[in-house]
Amino acid sequence: MRLKKVTSLPPQAERVWQVAIHPTLPLIATASSDKTARIISLQTYDPLSTIEGGHKRSIRSVAWKPGLTGESVLCTGSFDATIGIWRRYEHDLDVRNSQEGDEEEEEWRFALVLDGHESEVKSVAWSAGGNFLATCSRDKTVWIWEEIDEDNFETLEVMQEHTQDVKCVAWHPEEVLLASSSYDNTIRLYREGSEDWVCCSLLEGHTATVWTIEFEKPTSPGYREEWGARLASCSDDLSIKVWTRISRSGSAAEAKKAPPSILRGESIEENWVETSTLPQVHTRAIYKVSWSSKSGRIVSCASDGRIVVYEEIASVDTEMAERDEKKPPMTGWKVVAEIEGAHGVFEVNCVQWSKRWDKDAKGENDEVIVSCGDDGVVSVWELEDA
Amino acid sequence: MDGKNANPTILNASDLPTRRQVQRKKVASPLTSGLVPAYAQDPFASHKVEFSDSDESEDDSVVEPIDEQEIYDLIATIADPEHPLTLGELAVVNLQHIKVIDDPSAIISNVLVELTPTINHCSLATVIGLGVRVRLEQALPPRFRLDVRIREGTHATGEQVNKQLNDKERVASALENETLMGVVGKMLETCK
Repeated sequence: MRLKKVTSLPPQAERVWQVAIHPTLPLIATASSDKTARIISLQTYDPLSTIEGGHKRSIRSVAWKPGLTGESVLCTGSFDATIGIWRRYEHDLDVRNSQEGDEEEEEWRFALVLDGHESEVKSVAWSAGGNFLATCSRDKTVWIWEEIDEDNFETLEVMQEHTQDVKCVAWHPEEVLLASSSYDNTIRLYREGSEDWVCCSLLEGHTATVWTIEFEKPTSPGYREEWGARLASCSDDLSIKVWTRISRSGSAAEAKKAPPSILRGESIEENWVETSTLPQVHTRAIYKVSWSSKSGRIVSCASDGRIVVYEEIASVDTEMAERDEKKPPMTGWKVVAEIEGAHGVFEVNCVQWSKRWDKDAKGENDEVIVSCGDDGVVSVWELEDA
Repeated sequence: MDGKNANPTILNASDLPTRRQVQRKKVASPLTSGLVPAYAQDPFASHKVEFSDSDESEDDSVVEPIDEQEIYDLIATIADPEHPLTLGELAVVNLQHIKVIDDPSAIISNVLVELTPTINHCSLATVIGLGVRVRLEQALPPRFRLDVRIREGTHATGEQVNKQLNDKERVASALENETLMGVVGKMLETCK
């Protein structure tokens, strides 16, 4: 297979740090060091609007709130230590029939600013149902926020478990479980206890800053109900790892149906183990991994300017499986496509899988990879058979 | 500031390795024109989506490989934040501790600069490292990846300093810090 470029948007004035794919509509949001967030159409790849004026420094992270209809809500995380919440009403957009430029674009409204972090915000993430917002910062903390009514957010918890900058936060797709990764080389997981949120797991294994973590999606082919969604991580140590939870009391499927472990009188702690290290391709810090909800493939991007796509090899760890049914199997991965110089000579900051919405989309399950880099460019890639 | 650095070893400026500086297309300094990295102000940036060495209108540094001596010439004249001397004169920067890999057939090139602080607990090691980074980021074409490190064994918290100096987000946000950039700006005033 090979990665083929579908298109590149005209460059923005400054580096683009991140892209975020809308949960339901054909839209991308970008975060840039020019203090703006921009909205781009995934149908036509045209730039649609620019969100500005809310932040005094670079916008580092953007995230769309899931679970909404008739409205879009975007969260922006900035180096100015604040978080912005932006709203826009969406018309009854019939995405199949809409034509370029014939709708009146509703304006983005700057709904509110969330203060609290003491230094640069690095990552923002909404929980799967949209109930919670997690944010993290160079100030070593992870904050959990809840929107109690419109434009009114409450801080539920400030977690100070990491010993250094927290680079990324990510929520589990089904359970109320939050992951964070840090400059301190570790990954931490958090759950809501009876009174407070607590750190329920510490994942050690990386030997340098962990830039990104992302959970597997339940719709991906490699997902196993008995182990639940796995976690992928990427690091300055040039490795990408996959972590799986060892179920302490029965399968993950049972755990979902049972009352919270805290009521059953059990410890809230859980054990996660490394079940894969992906083949090493990148030669410099790996900034991002993204896990496809359709094909189960993982895509990564790095300072070395490469974008790499990996696929899981069916595990043949039968010896392990017989010996200990509760231990998840080790799995192997192989590289299926790789491209150097994806953004010319510049670093690639982010890659994300997305459903394909453009005119060349081959059905509902077709996907593309969206990338962005220090050249200020957002590019779109397809995987084709070589 | 720090009285313990009162008697550093000083080299004679005329003894330092150098050669006539190649005339390089000068991009506007981010320190005076808003904190935008040099590449974003490069008028050719919008055309550089694909790497190409056949475009004759580009700066000749794209075609001519850059070597260790050129890197040295760029950073040896940076002023030390404490002493009225340059990093070259103080032997903080040394030609033999610079390594360049600039293969014209590869897309990206690498520069490794190892710094030797004047004393092993120099509290300004991070600022000096940042100054070297800023200078090289402004002066070199974007195909260069920089690794600026404190030479092993020369600093008590060298590994911690190295981690900061080579973390992209930390460096990016330091470049947006006016106070810090004021200090770095003064250090770069002496550069030729």
